[in-house]
Amino acid sequence: VYLLFQALRQISQRTISTASRRQLENRVPENQKLFQEDNGLPVHLKGGAKDSLLYRSTAGLALFGTMYTLYYLLVSSMPKKPN
Amino acid sequence: MAHQAHSYHMVDPSPWPILGAAAALLVTSGLTMWFHYNSPRLLILGLLATILVMFQWWRDIVRESTFQGHHTPMVQKGLRYGMVLFITSEAFFFLGFFWAFFHSSLAPTPELGGQWPPVGIKPLNPMEVPLLNTAILLASGVTVTWAHHSITEANRKQAIQALLLTVLLGFYFTALQAMEYYEAPFSIADGVYGSTFFVATGFHGLHVIIGSTFLLVCLLRLIKYHFTSNHHFGFEAAAWYWHFVDVVWLFLYIFIYWWGS
Repeated sequence: VYLLFQALRQISQRTISTASRRQLENRVPENQKLFQEDNGLPVHLKGGAKDSLLYRSTAGLALFGTMYTLYYLLVSSMPKKPN
Repeated sequence: MAHQAHSYHMVDPSPWPILGAAAALLVTSGLTMWFHYNSPRLLILGLLATILVMFQWWRDIVRESTFQGHHTPMVQKGLRYGMVLFITSEAFFFLGFFWAFFHSSLAPTPELGGQWPPVGIKPLNPMEVPLLNTAILLASGVTVTWAHHSITEANRKQAIQALLLTVLLGFYFTALQAMEYYEAPFSIADGVYGSTFFVATGFHGLHVIIGSTFLLVCLLRLIKYHFTSNHHFGFEAAAWYWHFVDVVWLFLYIFIYWWGS
């Protein structure tokens, strides 16, 4: 029974597996290293490829939307053709 | 990297200000398309663009401060001034809606039946859900202060618990208020009572959502070890904003819900 109890105690104190443990550890120092690297990248692109993808999607959406808006504003300001 | 001989922050060139302006253009013209042509497409595009810009801009600020160390005491002072001025401007925003409320309620016109609440309006009972909402927000003010003390005392576990509780209380308020809105016997179209009630409480509700989101972001940053016991201005800004939201509610509750019923 004592051994059973010890086993139970060990299971309840079992350490979290490596993959999920990384999510609970302090990753600030690695981020500090990444974002202070002397690579000339501006902060909005310094995180890597994901940054560029997100930036380009946002800029693309904004540009497309602006063109769409100007088109619709132009159309809306035209007088309607009489029947 | 060039080294600066001053303690201010010269930011890297950034696309977010102009893209944010473009997003604002899409939101406003989207509203026009929705109101006049019944098409929400542009509005949705605009809101999506706004959210993307906000996410990336604030992400960059976290990078500049926590990861690059640009937020010196001088810079933090500027941010403090900025947040105070912003909250002050929001106070004036609400002041306008309270002015409108008092204008109509202090001297009710004959069209309203010369009384407040106007004839035909069945106001919400201030001793029911609105009172619970008051208790919720006051409690959340206590929990956010508890969280702050825990942060300064470097007590990570309690700080996370207290901030989590604060966020949950915020969401609870929003859920209850949404239910109240659904169940209310009057609508925004019910004369000046409906207008003043829903515009004032509606903008307040929006600020509760914004404040809860700000606090949630702080909770995530707290869990990721971004804050130190001496330097956690993002959290302080969120706490200030939250206290402001709480105070606005107290005014709403006392004057619109209670005195106005």
